[in-house]
Amino acid sequence: MAKARALDRRRKSVKNIRKITRTMELIATARFKKAMDRSVAARDYTKHLAKILENIASVGANVAHPLLEIRPTKRTAVLVLTGNRGLCGGYNSNVVRQSVALLGQWKSEQVPAHVSVSGKRGISALKFRGVDVAERYMQFEDKPEFAAVFPIGRAYLDAYSAGEIDRLDVVYTRFASIAKQEAVTETLLPLAPPQAASAGAKAKLASDEYDFYPSAGSILEEILPASFLSRLFKCFLDAAVSEQVARMVAMKAATENAGGLIKSLSRQYNRARQSQITGEIMEILGGVEALKK
Amino acid sequence: MADAKQSGTVRCVVVTPESTSLDTQARSVTLPLYDGLRGVGRGHSPFIGRLGAGEVRIVGEQGGPADAVRRLFVEGGFVEVSHDAVTVITQRAIAAERIDAAAARADLARIIGTRAAGDEAIEAKEQAAQVARALVRTAGGR
Repeated sequence: MAKARALDRRRKSVKNIRKITRTMELIATARFKKAMDRSVAARDYTKHLAKILENIASVGANVAHPLLEIRPTKRTAVLVLTGNRGLCGGYNSNVVRQSVALLGQWKSEQVPAHVSVSGKRGISALKFRGVDVAERYMQFEDKPEFAAVFPIGRAYLDAYSAGEIDRLDVVYTRFASIAKQEAVTETLLPLAPPQAASAGAKAKLASDEYDFYPSAGSILEEILPASFLSRLFKCFLDAAVSEQVARMVAMKAATENAGGLIKSLSRQYNRARQSQITGEIMEILGGVEALKK
Repeated sequence: MADAKQSGTVRCVVVTPESTSLDTQARSVTLPLYDGLRGVGRGHSPFIGRLGAGEVRIVGEQGGPADAVRRLFVEGGFVEVSHDAVTVITQRAIAAERIDAAAARADLARIIGTRAAGDEAIEAKEQAAQVARALVRTAGGR
């Protein structure tokens, strides 16, 4: 009896776990949809900024700005975006692995790195690996807000223009599609120079008719920080979307796994129960035989 | 485009980093450029301008009375006017009726009350005060 009962208990606990993972999957799905909507809504801003930048570049304004200037890297900053919670497959560990590789590279080149980490998981994992984490952020969940990202970006801009850092790399999980998210390192500072309208004459014509108030140069000065901030914000949004997708996939797998486990435990339980019944019948028969004699 | 021509309206779009917060047709739009207000109606020549902190007034929105005014507070950013479309690209846009006037006034008083030492700090304080003043003004409805 003991074995069958133990199996039954295990089956019950696996059933409960399946309920939990199934719920988590559903929650992650709902959150993913919301995060995705936010990410799509944020694209317009970047698109419009890029259009203005393109116009300025093709007008032939002098595109020189401290944020575009490539300096030799003497001091660098690394921002790592992970999640606050686990149970999302390789989401956190992939980012941590990528950032450890990057930090190792800077270390071998003897460039001091200022490391900031968002997300409890990343903070503890990097601490475990002996990385000195200067800045910790734990306020970002599945809905990062621009107002919360703004001060972080502003601090980087100030540090960059003050010459305290010569480069900023962001390690995060880029959302390519629902089937593909990958941990990447993206260099946000210095900014990539704006591309002059490449599509040729058509774009050129369109840009020629614009007047600039107060001047193309002055707009450029304002628009570059804005474009940096929007790119940084996009990293946060991508990380949030990817986290939900990763959790969705991980919980789906866990639910399916639990289903398989329940099946095999049921089979074992039935077999154990049957053999127990058989054993009992044999005992009774044995008793009857003994009485006959 | 064809119906816009007939009714003599411009398309007004307000974009923030988080979303497109407004997309509408209106008779005219008044914009707070860095050095003062500028009104844009149908047929305005294309330009790209820097915005200051202040109030965007959208007059005569389609589907409403001709003299209805929708007011928004924007905190800096840019505007692109082209092909009878006004695109306001800003970090923060708040509908005027949703501004907490008391909080805005308290904020302004706090900024004026803080002491700033050094050129940069003074400049930052001035800027913050300007934004706060514009917010109070927009909340006041003038």
